[in-house]
Amino acid sequence: MIINPVMPKPCKIIDIIRENKNEYTFRVESDITPEHGQFLQLSIPKVGEAPISASGFGDGYLDFTIRSVGKVTNEMFALKPGDMLFLRGAYGVGWPIEEISGKHLVVITGGTGLAPVKSLLSKCLNEPEFVKSVFIISGFKNEDGILFKNDLESYKKNFKTVYSLDIDKIDGWEVGFVTEHVNKIPIKDYEDNYAILVVGPPVMMKFTALECLKNGAKEENIWVSFERKMSCAIGKCGHCRIDEVYVCLDGPVFNYKQAKDLVD
Amino acid sequence: MGFSLSLEKANAILNELKKEYRIYAPKRFEKQGRYSDTDIIRYDEIDSIEEIVTGEKSTYSPKEVLFPITQTILYFTEDEYRETKMDDKKILIFMRPCDINARKVQERIYMGNGGFDDFYYKRLREKVKFVMMECTKGWDTCFCVSMGTNKATNYAAAVRFLEDGILLDVKDEELQGYFADVAKAPFEVEFIEGNETVVELPQIPDKKVLNAIKAHPMWDEYNSRCIACGACTIACGTCTCFTTTDLFYTQNANVGERRRTYSSCQIDGFDEMAGGLIFRKSYADTMRYKVLHKVHDYKERFGENMCVGCGRCTDRCPQFISFSHTIEKLNHAIKEICEQPVSQS
Amino acid sequence: MNHDIDIKNTRINCFRQSKIKGEFLLQMRVPGGTLDAKYLEFVQHICKTWGNGLFHFGMRQCFNVPGIKYESIPAVNAYIKEYLEGVEVGMCNVKMDDTEHGFPTIGGRNIMSCIGNEHCIKANVNTFALARKIEPLIFPGHYHVKIAVAGCPNDCGKAHFNDFGMIGIAKMEYHQERCIGCGACVDACSHHATGVLKLNEFNKIDKDDCCCVGCGECTLICPASAWTRLPTKFFRVLLGARTGKQEARMAKTFLTWVTEDVILQLFANWPKFSAWVLDYKPEYLHGGHLIDRAGYQKFKEIMLDGVKLNPEAKVADNIYWAETEYRRDIHVKPLAEHKKAGPGATSGH
Repeated sequence: MIINPVMPKPCKIIDIIRENKNEYTFRVESDITPEHGQFLQLSIPKVGEAPISASGFGDGYLDFTIRSVGKVTNEMFALKPGDMLFLRGAYGVGWPIEEISGKHLVVITGGTGLAPVKSLLSKCLNEPEFVKSVFIISGFKNEDGILFKNDLESYKKNFKTVYSLDIDKIDGWEVGFVTEHVNKIPIKDYEDNYAILVVGPPVMMKFTALECLKNGAKEENIWVSFERKMSCAIGKCGHCRIDEVYVCLDGPVFNYKQAKDLVD
Repeated sequence: MGFSLSLEKANAILNELKKEYRIYAPKRFEKQGRYSDTDIIRYDEIDSIEEIVTGEKSTYSPKEVLFPITQTILYFTEDEYRETKMDDKKILIFMRPCDINARKVQERIYMGNGGFDDFYYKRLREKVKFVMMECTKGWDTCFCVSMGTNKATNYAAAVRFLEDGILLDVKDEELQGYFADVAKAPFEVEFIEGNETVVELPQIPDKKVLNAIKAHPMWDEYNSRCIACGACTIACGTCTCFTTTDLFYTQNANVGERRRTYSSCQIDGFDEMAGGLIFRKSYADTMRYKVLHKVHDYKERFGENMCVGCGRCTDRCPQFISFSHTIEKLNHAIKEICEQPVSQS
Repeated sequence: MNHDIDIKNTRINCFRQSKIKGEFLLQMRVPGGTLDAKYLEFVQHICKTWGNGLFHFGMRQCFNVPGIKYESIPAVNAYIKEYLEGVEVGMCNVKMDDTEHGFPTIGGRNIMSCIGNEHCIKANVNTFALARKIEPLIFPGHYHVKIAVAGCPNDCGKAHFNDFGMIGIAKMEYHQERCIGCGACVDACSHHATGVLKLNEFNKIDKDDCCCVGCGECTLICPASAWTRLPTKFFRVLLGARTGKQEARMAKTFLTWVTEDVILQLFANWPKFSAWVLDYKPEYLHGGHLIDRAGYQKFKEIMLDGVKLNPEAKVADNIYWAETEYRRDIHVKPLAEHKKAGPGATSGH
């Protein structure tokens, strides 16, 4: 029998957690174990499919954190625990675990960009020997946009953290874009033994990577995660192609050396 | 094995074949053209040899047979998805050498890219045999010779259409069985050796030049010339892009189907993300994206050019944009960029 | 020169009086406004030999030759025999017993048309081919009617400004399986036409058939031939427009989705209708006035008499024209001045 790679599998919703005004985390029953940074295709009958990265996973479950944009996600907010979601995946190339292992890890995120690295940060938290250190710069537009508040709190204990809001001023948070905090990363102290992961909106990633370079980071030590219109997720439909690259197959995570030359 | 057949005999065999095969060929659809009192020629099932349009290029490519414009792929209910079924009839498609070569191009994407096979394309493809239509003259917009797609060998049979009959070269053993009582006649299929339009293939040496080309003003004219209708990509034999849509039945909203439909990088919304972010904002950008894919990007991934030089994009463009002329402009731009002194920055 | 000329007779012969005494302007009909280009040389010869060297494009697509001396009329008429036989008799199958003496009846009310689908990308019909078929039904004749044929609802052919205006329209077929849901037709329809298309949630098109004007914009823009024209040609027929000093008005729809066959049957009834309105006494009045005299209902009765309508055809139940009111109460006048039609209708205007 030929395998049909676009056939989705049903998964039951176990829990729905409201992260903030616009974002919810859906926990579903699933035995899929994605690699950190991979994505899945989530489908809801009547609506269609959307590429979503797993914000967490564990024994028999997967978490998706979804922002209320687009048709699929709007429809998602009508769902209740016990309802079905349909999944296929996981797809693509995730974070370079081997390149990160044993190194100083820097994670810079903008907005919902925190979701695709959250499972990796949990790993760092649970397996302290996995990396030498973790430095997080996490930015959000405003107070309403803050995601994973409890997790951000718990990171403070073990990681170096800089949390920043573009506009709002609140206690314990910096003000300004994440790019303004890049100079706080002690890149020299890492003695060439580090990995920087940048994930967020395209413009944020572009300027953050440039800021890292300005502060002495090497191109080959930076990775970014592209968000494109992945539709089939198996390199057929063409929506996510840039040059010779299919983001769904060759990404979404790219080393900056390759990513910098990919012009849509 | 060569055969000479009268139209009558050819049609008799066609009828025999139709018991086992669906037979597709370029067919005339009168007055269905873009403009009043013009025709289109597209692929459809035929009942006789005379129905095959031999003297004109088909408006649309035979890719429609293997990958229909709209295709239902899954049915769904509240708790499950089911694949669509297919009958077991085999398929014969009459197509020209460029179109046979276009199959290879699409198949590098549909079958194999990223280690995935497209289930629906593959299950149809496995039932298909090609009957190659001899093509020795071509038309003014063709440049298959430049693209090296003027010849094809992977056919089950090749045919030359004569006034009162056909000449056949049947390679497929199973098909040969249908010709048991037909007198053999020597026939060797011929190919076109030169087109009116000759295209020099662009050579983009590296990413630096590629990105300089993307920023080159040569694309600007398409902001006003191209209307982004996508007709070029729908007619193209090698364009593969599609979009998936779920449809639910009005009488029972929990039941429905998932369909896929041709899509195009030329059409607004193709690269638009949920939330509204768009990557290629102008028609110069979308044109550049298409053209570079056809004559560079695809080659970088798969080793051969995507474009097969059938010229349908030029034929179909309502704004008279010629693809071969665009390639010429691209060559000029590459030359201009490569001859510039290297900056020291 | 001391002239004594019956200008009504010269007018019937297609020579119109000039402000210069004794000079006339020849109006040569060009049914459908399209001819073999060889006639340009022919007309040039008339202008240079008998005219004053000028040429005018008639407002209704006639060849107008100004400055012809009264004395030259017989020579001009002898010369245009070739034109009458070539264009009227040969091209349009007009019955003309005498081609020796110029145009037999006033020809200035030429049947106009835009270039149509012979050339135009927007057109749905061959306009001048229809004009040439209508020509023998209404010419020569002493009952005047202004007719125009436009290839599409853009109406460059000014169907809206004639007694009868035909607009070529097309019935569209939607091949859903070929539709890629790009929405180009939706945009085209709302930008150029009546906005009857909508992209539904399944990426296919919903159409409000009732308000489709049959222009074909959807077919023109569709990248996949998902919209095609049905092979049968259809027309919208507009009625009763006129210009002038009194009651200028634009036409209103009389028929829609009628076939060419219906139009030809309709015009075959025109002489009958005109004759009845004017009580068989032809007058120098054109169609719009005749329709007014009879009233729309009577017009409809006579014009559709014996006409076999195609199943798609629709006919205006009533028509309410809107005139330019140069003065108030334009239709309020003493009973004795009211228009009358049919037996006993008085002449005078």
